[in-house]
Amino acid sequence: MDLKLDPDDLNTCVQCGLCLPHCPTFRVTGDEAMSPRGRIQLMREVQDNDAPVDDDVLRSFASCVQCRGCEPACPSSVPYGHLMERTRETLADAKLMTPGWQRLAFLPLANPKLLQAGSAALAVANKLHLVPKRLGLPEEIRVDQKPIIASGDDVYFFTGCVMDAWQREVHHAGVRNLEAAGFGVTPTNELAPCCGALQAHAGLAGQTRTLAEQMMGNLSVDTRPIVVDSAGCGAAMKDYGHLLGTPEAKAFSERVFDIQEFLALHLEKLPAVSALDVRVAVQDPCHLRHVQRVHEATRTVLRPFVRELVELDDDGLCCGAGGAYSVLEPELAGDIRDRKVAAIDQVTPDLVASANPGCAMHLAGAGVPTIHPMEIVDRALRGI
Amino acid sequence: MARSALKSLQSLKDLAGRASRSGGRPADETASDPLIGELRAALSPDRVRSDGAQKALMKKDASVFEGGVSGPLCYPESTAEVQAIMKLAEKYDRGVVPRGAGTGLAGGAIPLGAPIVIAATKMNHILEVDLDNRIAWVEPGVINLDLTKHLAPMGFHFAPDPSSQQVCTIGGNVANNSGGPHCLAYGVTNAHVVALEVVLPSGEVTVLGGLDAEPLGYDLRGAFVGSEGTLGFTTKVAVTITPNAPDVRTLLLSFDTVRDAANTVSAIIAAGIVPAALEVMDQRITQAVEAYVGAGYPTDAGAVLLAEVDGLADGIKIDAERIGDIGRQHGATNVRQAETDHERALLWKGRKTAFGAIAQIAPDYYLHDTVVPRSKLADVLEQIYEIADRHDVLVMNVFHAGDGNLHPLLVFDGREEGKLDAVHAAGAEIVTASVAAGGVLSGEHGIGVEKQAYMDLMFTDDDMDHQARLRRAFDPVCRANPGKVLPMGHSCADIAALRSVPADVWG
Repeated sequence: MDLKLDPDDLNTCVQCGLCLPHCPTFRVTGDEAMSPRGRIQLMREVQDNDAPVDDDVLRSFASCVQCRGCEPACPSSVPYGHLMERTRETLADAKLMTPGWQRLAFLPLANPKLLQAGSAALAVANKLHLVPKRLGLPEEIRVDQKPIIASGDDVYFFTGCVMDAWQREVHHAGVRNLEAAGFGVTPTNELAPCCGALQAHAGLAGQTRTLAEQMMGNLSVDTRPIVVDSAGCGAAMKDYGHLLGTPEAKAFSERVFDIQEFLALHLEKLPAVSALDVRVAVQDPCHLRHVQRVHEATRTVLRPFVRELVELDDDGLCCGAGGAYSVLEPELAGDIRDRKVAAIDQVTPDLVASANPGCAMHLAGAGVPTIHPMEIVDRALRGI
Repeated sequence: MARSALKSLQSLKDLAGRASRSGGRPADETASDPLIGELRAALSPDRVRSDGAQKALMKKDASVFEGGVSGPLCYPESTAEVQAIMKLAEKYDRGVVPRGAGTGLAGGAIPLGAPIVIAATKMNHILEVDLDNRIAWVEPGVINLDLTKHLAPMGFHFAPDPSSQQVCTIGGNVANNSGGPHCLAYGVTNAHVVALEVVLPSGEVTVLGGLDAEPLGYDLRGAFVGSEGTLGFTTKVAVTITPNAPDVRTLLLSFDTVRDAANTVSAIIAAGIVPAALEVMDQRITQAVEAYVGAGYPTDAGAVLLAEVDGLADGIKIDAERIGDIGRQHGATNVRQAETDHERALLWKGRKTAFGAIAQIAPDYYLHDTVVPRSKLADVLEQIYEIADRHDVLVMNVFHAGDGNLHPLLVFDGREEGKLDAVHAAGAEIVTASVAAGGVLSGEHGIGVEKQAYMDLMFTDDDMDHQARLRRAFDPVCRANPGKVLPMGHSCADIAALRSVPADVWG
């Protein structure tokens, strides 16, 4: 069947195999069908040779975390992430992937009221221990948190969906840090309810386009930078230019900054304080390292505020969170996480800094003491 | 599509469609196939695969060659499981083909005649590091660079470092007797394997070689290393581990011409210096690499020479200066030394991803691998450029200059009418020219299916018959990696007919 993949994109892959060790699913299975090279070959088989899209082919595509760790490793610059998103979109349109219940599950993300109601229900279920522990949800999901109040109009602060509902304290820390650097902050709240990343990963790019257009319409009354403290959301918003293919979308994407990236550019504006007495390991979220490629900024921003920064010796291999992946593919996600936890254990940190809510929750589910880099900076600045 | 166009090569089609000599069964199996049932009972159901997706993927390695449809794909986790597979292959009269990371460049891991594929990727454990004896026992699926990373805290590494080292497996290195940039000083894989546990095609498990410096008897270990899977399947490898050098210096020399770079390489060796690595890249490949890595390679130079020396700081300081001087005497326009580890790593990253980086230029490549005497490097390179020009094919040269191992890279778009034929014609002339200059067919990629047709450039019929006899001693029915290495006329069925030594052999 026609997967609607650009033949030139597909042809970029020369099958050298250099991506294999950078693929988390290949690492834990040793299975070519669970590698980027294998998946691209299967895309070719389906699109060019009319191979049947059977369960095994679908399994290969569905098992991809979409971490895009293969992209920086690829000497031929194969646009793997876009190939996989397009493949999933075509297969979801043909009702071969992403069943109806999943489509329904994504709807509340774009609707703050529904999300709040859903989160409240989840909070109760979690308290009653009805939610599997491996999901790594916070002990207490607080749905009635302190709102973020606008403090000025220098930058937008993207609040988003799940993170705003479950980890608003991270948002507060990020906003306080921006304010400490002298920026007046406007939270986006209902102006931009959701970035659409999870939907795009699931092949529901139509939903993502709608959300992107809505967000662009609401935030394009001026040209302020849009600061994002979730690596996955930032990566998705930086990709709107590609997703929509319009000059407006490209211009919008250029206004998007990861919060570490933004503060690294303005580091001198943050007050000098004494560093926290902690040894911090940096866990790079894939969409910060492999997609946005601004992971060095996390180190730049953290360095003045902690006693010691340590690196993990795993070449930035994915932790297995992958947005909704850890829920949809718990077994693979768990095996992948085991590797990450082993790498973390080796460097014996006090805290593990992760700039993405999904990674933080997934790792916390394995007992890793995760914290957002912005919370570390916030604690140092406030001396707590 | 370009890559699939390659499979239309008639000779390969014949190969791929040809039923194995050790089993004539076509590959339309189902889960009810008794062979699959027995394999699943011996391993586990999820580690024996026969679905269409898997078989489609097994058709290819990193070469341009495409095999036929494979038989069942097995992921064993132990020697006993490999042994069980081998015994079932015998029972059902099927070939077996080994597969590591699938990064081979000569088609050595592609299936011919619906063989059982034995994937080594789940046998990926480092079993033991013995610092006293400076060896490590590893399973065949261990990734080359993973072993080196594992050894790093102990101050050691595994010396052979193919460009694909971040993904290729030790088992594949053993099969192909792999080299790498740093094999100039340290020797290729054969010099770093002391013992092998292998499962022979009969299913018998044996250990070749040993930890003693001088094992008794014939060096069967030496015969096995580089045999491309045609003598059996390696299940454990004892490799030597090499202490990390106390210091290292990496130089980048720029030249106006490839000839100047090649002459510099000969002069360095002639001066008695043994660098850890001497790598040359011509202007075209340098430009492609720089576009990908941004390592600061000079894109205006006709050629660059990457030279590395390692050892004691005082000694290599002098060697580095001498290399710079020799370069300047031979026309180097610039000599630069990497100042930091980061700079050095970037230079090497550029060199080691050269083959993939060419996709920035065209969608297909055919990477050749021949060796010529160092003193002939400049002459043969000029011939290679002339041959490629005549066939209107773009050629780029990147090579292990220190040991004369050429890697002419033919870059093309297979969708262009007639291009593929031109590529193969140019390739054939390049191989012929290298051998005519006193060189050999393959430096490190192996023969696989790629170089079979060229074997008679180097070997007489008698030479090949004797190689076939060695093979038959291990594998009388050509069960192990059928259809590889030895040309058709010299494989098992043919030697079976050769019952006595031809009258003229002894003169």
